[in-house]
Amino acid sequence: MSSISRPVNSPPPGYFAQKYVWQWPIRVFHWINALAVLVLFSSGLYIWNPILVPAGEPWNRFVMATVRKIHFAFAMIFVVNFVWRIYWFWMGNNYARSGFPFVWRRSWWRDLFRQMVDYLKLERGHRHLGHNALGGLAYTVFVIGLGWLQILTGLALYSESNPDGFWGTLVGWVIPLAGSSMAVRVWHHLFAWGFIVFSILHVYIVFYDGQQYRNGLISSMISGYKFYEADDIDHDTWIS
Amino acid sequence: MDRRLRETTYEVLSRHGVDRRRFLRYCTMITAAMGLPSSMVSQVVQAMESKPRIPVIWLHGLECTCCSESFIRSSHPLAQDIILNMISLDYDDTLQAAAGHQVEEIRRRLIEEHPGEYLLAVEGNAPTKDGGVYCTVGGQTFLDVLLETAEHAKAIVAWGSCASNGCVQAARPNPTGARPVHELVHGKPVINVPGCPPIAEVMTGVLTYVLTFDRLPELDRFGRPKMFYGHRVHDKCQRRAFFDAGQFVEQWDDEGARQGWCLYKMGCRGPMTYNSCSSIKWNNGVSFPIGSGHGCIGCSENDFWDNGPFYQHLAGVPLPGVESTPDTIGKIAAGAAAVGVAAHFGSFVAKRALFGDKESKPADATKDTGDEA
Repeated sequence: MSSISRPVNSPPPGYFAQKYVWQWPIRVFHWINALAVLVLFSSGLYIWNPILVPAGEPWNRFVMATVRKIHFAFAMIFVVNFVWRIYWFWMGNNYARSGFPFVWRRSWWRDLFRQMVDYLKLERGHRHLGHNALGGLAYTVFVIGLGWLQILTGLALYSESNPDGFWGTLVGWVIPLAGSSMAVRVWHHLFAWGFIVFSILHVYIVFYDGQQYRNGLISSMISGYKFYEADDIDHDTWIS
Repeated sequence: MDRRLRETTYEVLSRHGVDRRRFLRYCTMITAAMGLPSSMVSQVVQAMESKPRIPVIWLHGLECTCCSESFIRSSHPLAQDIILNMISLDYDDTLQAAAGHQVEEIRRRLIEEHPGEYLLAVEGNAPTKDGGVYCTVGGQTFLDVLLETAEHAKAIVAWGSCASNGCVQAARPNPTGARPVHELVHGKPVINVPGCPPIAEVMTGVLTYVLTFDRLPELDRFGRPKMFYGHRVHDKCQRRAFFDAGQFVEQWDDEGARQGWCLYKMGCRGPMTYNSCSSIKWNNGVSFPIGSGHGCIGCSENDFWDNGPFYQHLAGVPLPGVESTPDTIGKIAAGAAAVGVAAHFGSFVAKRALFGDKESKPADATKDTGDEA
């Protein structure tokens, strides 16, 4: 049967309806994650290349140590937030799962292809309640995939001052896997830039998408509501 | 040889006129050298009194002998104490007086007469390409010698970075296929003692531990003894306060260098190198590289030759045709993303300008949204 998933209460032609899509844990995750990535990347830049030259004697200067403390603190916030998001993948509504790459479904591949064509041809296809396949793939690769890699390499580096401690026992295996401590550092830097690439693409595409599709995309990450018309696609049933 | 082997360290020492008081003083000293508490002295004494000396075969493969050079400079305990009193060093082609076929004969006889009893110390590693022809000893490839000797060894001590992780001869592109000992020998306990060379006191300390307690010290994930490789050079560095303060040497002749600031920005590998350089130091505790004004090059870490250049903080990433840092690659990727975004936005604006502000129609629901979910 070829039943396409439509929102249950489709508005009449020419009218918008709105639906509560992003539950509050998703929104909280998003903004904490955005803040953590921003702080982690900028503090990481300083740790990589400490350009400040504090005057005075080391007994009353603590610049590098402070920046590292900020980096570690936000790393822990990032980890807890990340675990929280994974928990909500299972506990949330279907939109919380709609970004998953359903690679075994033809409909997912078709949506992926169509979304790319729509973006490239600057045309307007269907709105999606939840994620379209391309967006979902990007979030899976850049937020979840890179997140895992960055957490593992980061915690492995964090554990280096105490290899027999809790973190060393938990993720110390990353270092022999990468080959050496230096290799872990190099990967950590490469992955960090992945977040920058993602942020550039992400910020642009949500502005473009919100403007082109008039779906209230940006405000939806604050209010949780997305706008749709008749004939738009509802992931609530599309992915389940 | 047999009778000598059955002798204990204490018996050898008394035969050389060492009295009981000096023997106890000696035991106390090596207990301290191994980093053990003074309550362990009695165990060390007991071991020295009761355990027969262990025969040791010391092989040299692809290496530069810097490990031996370091070893003979040990001061706590003196290398001569180890060689003459604690072990029975029956084969070491660099130190022994005999040469040629006689020497190889000694090695074979030792393997036959004391299988499972001798300790195998390996300095250097074995080339594996082309049947191992790039290193031969007495007409036999070193790979053969190593495997043959390792087969009946009680345990293996891999001296230096060559034997532990490959070092310079295993660096890219590794033309001779050199591989460290633990990748070649299987089913035998291997202690990795990396460093180029390892610190003398670390070498003798490891040997003393094995001889005294007749067991391997606790090893970390890279097979290194935790008692000497449990902390990074960075963790106990005398310049650590400058690191935390954020005061770094920027150039070799700047004011920071004169003030003894941290060498992090000069490519110091201290933060990623597990070794005892900053605590035990070198040459009887005189100094160590960072103490003398040069950054650590991480000589005891895996692939340290490939993780260069030594004078920049992060290793270069070898891409075909270019050598760049991970951050260069990241900037290029971010730039490419920005260019892509700009191109897309440009065409969006151009389309609006050309075709007006007309909103494009939503797709026809009946056409291409077929979904067989």
